[in-house]
Amino acid sequence: MHPNETTLNEYADGSLGAAERAGVEQHLAACASCRQLVDDLRDILRATGELEPLDAPVRAWPRLERAIRMEREHATRVTAGPHSGAAVSDPADAGSYRTYATWLAAAAALVLAAVVGMRYTPGRRAEAPAVAPAGATASATAGGAAESIETELRQAEAHYENAIKGLEAIATTERSELDPRTAATLQKNLAVIDQAISESRAAVRSEPASEPAQQSLIEGFKAKIGLLQDTVALINEMRKGNEAGAARIVSGLKQKGN
Amino acid sequence: MTVDLVASIQAGDVDAFEALYRQHSAKIYTLASRMAGSPEDGEDLLQEIFLQAYRKIGSFKGDSALGTWLYRLALNHCLDYVRSRRAKMNKLTDTLDAETSFEPAARRDTPIARMDLERAVERLPEGCREAFVLHDVEGFDHKEVADLLGIAEGTSKSQVFKARLKLRGFLGKR
Repeated sequence: MHPNETTLNEYADGSLGAAERAGVEQHLAACASCRQLVDDLRDILRATGELEPLDAPVRAWPRLERAIRMEREHATRVTAGPHSGAAVSDPADAGSYRTYATWLAAAAALVLAAVVGMRYTPGRRAEAPAVAPAGATASATAGGAAESIETELRQAEAHYENAIKGLEAIATTERSELDPRTAATLQKNLAVIDQAISESRAAVRSEPASEPAQQSLIEGFKAKIGLLQDTVALINEMRKGNEAGAARIVSGLKQKGN
Repeated sequence: MTVDLVASIQAGDVDAFEALYRQHSAKIYTLASRMAGSPEDGEDLLQEIFLQAYRKIGSFKGDSALGTWLYRLALNHCLDYVRSRRAKMNKLTDTLDAETSFEPAARRDTPIARMDLERAVERLPEGCREAFVLHDVEGFDHKEVADLLGIAEGTSKSQVFKARLKLRGFLGKR
């Protein structure tokens, strides 16, 4: 009789007591399939132990920095009283360079704030009942779930599109800050993403219940938001004269473009 | 040095906070991405964790290393996220487990590539992924995993073992 999978896992872990270990070893000497399972588990444990840390996306720090500066600015305003809002100045004023950069960051952060917390997961049926109510037909339940998914998808789509519109407005107005080659790279990447969104949208329209199509549409929106976030972050870094920060973002953009 | 860094951050020095971020962001992002099972959610969690760290840095008393304090904060935030997501989905656990069943990949005897393993971990079902990440990746023992996830120790073991068996299938090891 084969040892159960728990015992073999504990054997692979090295956490089995001596008596049980001896029994398993005796079995393994005669059973190729259990031996294979233990070898595989050990391979997985070894590979898991060799996993390395992942690099956080380059845009993460500029996003965080914007959020922190906004929070500090807000705290300062609250402390200073109602008239301190005048600190947000006219962008055309060349003398208020740093304030303008803050204004730009604030505008981007407001758009980003709209996206935070919106973690749409296609195929998620959190609101659908696990068990059909007594008397309800299976098709009625399935129909209700499909409608709920479609409604959720439509809401997510509208949400993402609003966020994209806001970011696009900032990126388009400020694009002259970028050197022409970087702007062209961004434009090229945006065109590729737009094409993918358009194809996914068509797929969702023809097959509203298709999870791969929904997934692909949402991934397209996320990719576009990510790229626009990078663009705004890059413009901010260039305005601040932070060449190292800008280089990090450009390097990330090039990797995505490859 | 930690005292100086904390004092600078508390005084509003964003460069000091960036230094803290640069030192620890990879570790925190890695934990968040693997616990959430998605790099996108991991990025959102990274933002939330560091924003929370910025707000709470005043509560750091120096009883532990700053990195340890930050890791605990990150871990708690990830666990809150996982719990809240699980609460939304708990009625569907069985269905989801069934939905994530798969055709095992053809057997491969080549060494496991790091990226393949990362993707396979992302595919693990809710529940067993968190237990696997905490036990096999982060190195907590089953008692600690059970406490962190609010489950029995035996459940932690069975979830971790289930995760390994699923990974075996995803990676073409059977």
